[in-house]
Amino acid sequence: MSTVNAPVRAASIEVKGLTKRFGAVTAVDDLSFRVEPGRITGFLGPNGAGKTTTLRILLDLAAPTSGNCTIGGRPYRDIPDPSRHVGAVLEATNFHPSRRARAHLQMMAIEAGIASPRIDAVLALVGLTADAKRKVGGYSLGMRQRLQLAGALLGDPGVLILDEPSNGLDPQGIAWLRDLLRHLAAEGRTILVSSHLLAEMAQTVDDVVIVSRGRLRAQGPLSILTARAQSSMRVRTPEADRLSEIARRAGFAPRQLGGDALLVDGATPEALGPLIATNGVVVHELVQVSQDLESLFLELTTSMTTLDQPAPAVTR
Amino acid sequence: MTTMPRLVRAELFKLRTTPGPWVCFAVVVLLTGLGVTTSFIVGHHGVVHFTAPTTTTQLRRLMGAGYTAAIVMAPVLGVLCITTEYRHRILTATLLIHPRRADVLVAKVLASAAWGVLMAVASFVMIAAMGIPLLLAEGGSLPHLLRQVGPVMPGMFAAYILLAVYGMGIGTLVRNQIAGVILALGLSLVLEPIIVAIFSSLAHMDVNFLPTRATQALAGSLSARGPGGGAGGTARALLSWWLGAIVLVLWGTGTAVLGYFTTFRRDVT
Repeated sequence: MSTVNAPVRAASIEVKGLTKRFGAVTAVDDLSFRVEPGRITGFLGPNGAGKTTTLRILLDLAAPTSGNCTIGGRPYRDIPDPSRHVGAVLEATNFHPSRRARAHLQMMAIEAGIASPRIDAVLALVGLTADAKRKVGGYSLGMRQRLQLAGALLGDPGVLILDEPSNGLDPQGIAWLRDLLRHLAAEGRTILVSSHLLAEMAQTVDDVVIVSRGRLRAQGPLSILTARAQSSMRVRTPEADRLSEIARRAGFAPRQLGGDALLVDGATPEALGPLIATNGVVVHELVQVSQDLESLFLELTTSMTTLDQPAPAVTR
Repeated sequence: MTTMPRLVRAELFKLRTTPGPWVCFAVVVLLTGLGVTTSFIVGHHGVVHFTAPTTTTQLRRLMGAGYTAAIVMAPVLGVLCITTEYRHRILTATLLIHPRRADVLVAKVLASAAWGVLMAVASFVMIAAMGIPLLLAEGGSLPHLLRQVGPVMPGMFAAYILLAVYGMGIGTLVRNQIAGVILALGLSLVLEPIIVAIFSSLAHMDVNFLPTRATQALAGSLSARGPGGGAGGTARALLSWWLGAIVLVLWGTGTAVLGYFTTFRRDVT
């Protein structure tokens, strides 16, 4: 799956104090984050969180109300031949339906000054060689996504910015995309990918930036963020009421789950184990329930809380 | 500006890989054919004959048979050049490759002008292919017709080019494709004639600074002082051809510049 003919010109993405208002609506509110090369960074947030607006400002398609965004230290418009440095997938509707897929890429290649052989290379990379002469109007959503991705990779860029790239892809397509992104990141490229498919993102990304209502909720390596978030202990015990009272007195927040099950929020095995032993409570099962990306996401975006001091970005 | 040639090439490629401009092209050929046919219909003492044009005015009507096609289709082509990008959201891809919007707009102006040239060529090829055999078959004089090439052809080429640029300007202002086409056609076919008629009948004024009237001046070449008007067939006083050209340039660049500052720099969503 080699995509590189020349050294990759990876660069970090930096968003500083970005604010975008549409009349009375603040779509992006003083947002700051940094995306590092060689890693896949998930840009996550519920609908209307300001993800697409942020990406459009980053790519100079929209103007910020205040703040700034840079790629490799430069605003997008100041990057010479930007498509050779930054590839973007924004939505699967940016095609003329009467234009053939290859012609769409050729149009982009002419504008970017990219040689024709590269068109065939990216068509092969996204698996569209056999359909390259078909009109895009007859393409499925998944095929359009692949064509968008081919366009983004046309200039063999060191930075990829992808907005919901798995939209319309079937399970095989999603797995293919995951492998492709991993491969591209392993080549040292900077990859920022927004998505609402959290389970898929959890398998794909190294770092996450979580936004809600235009504000940053958390940023950092996924493993550190989920570890730092609150964990719980699930206990099965015939003495659920007694253990609940003991845990409450110790400062935890136990919840009865029905039957003999109890969930003790905020507890760790190290804290709850001695408490159980000291009080001689009979326990049938003791399991740590660590937070996954989805629960972290829901916690941060529904309660509108922010993880204190977002973890520092990992540098390579 | 080293990127400008490839921007223009990309714009030309976009136009030739979508059906809209080719439909415009076909309509130009058809309307020119219609213009050739009607230039052989000559009224004499209240009786209409199908005969070879003989007078300078009649021969100019034949040589300028693509005039109506220019007025109607060149602006539409210009409108399509820009509004197709908005309609199908291709502008996003365009600006991702070249974010400097003024350059993109200049490339579109040049591409529209180039397609104006192609349309003019198609129109004159149709005039030659259909008009010359008809002229000879009806006993007309080819040398007399060829004498009108100089006075008419350069102006017609300029008209196609400048009207395409004018259409591009309208498209930049309006952005919506259907609204742009309706506006371009409505202005030249409905609104301008009404304005001209109102000012002419009520104020006895010739309103010559509208695009269609400027085109008449440009395409007729000698129309302001010639016998019976230009290719457009108007008998009223028109601007000189060069002033007509300047007026059309101002309409084209004016609408494009206004469009750039009012709509083209807006956020692309």
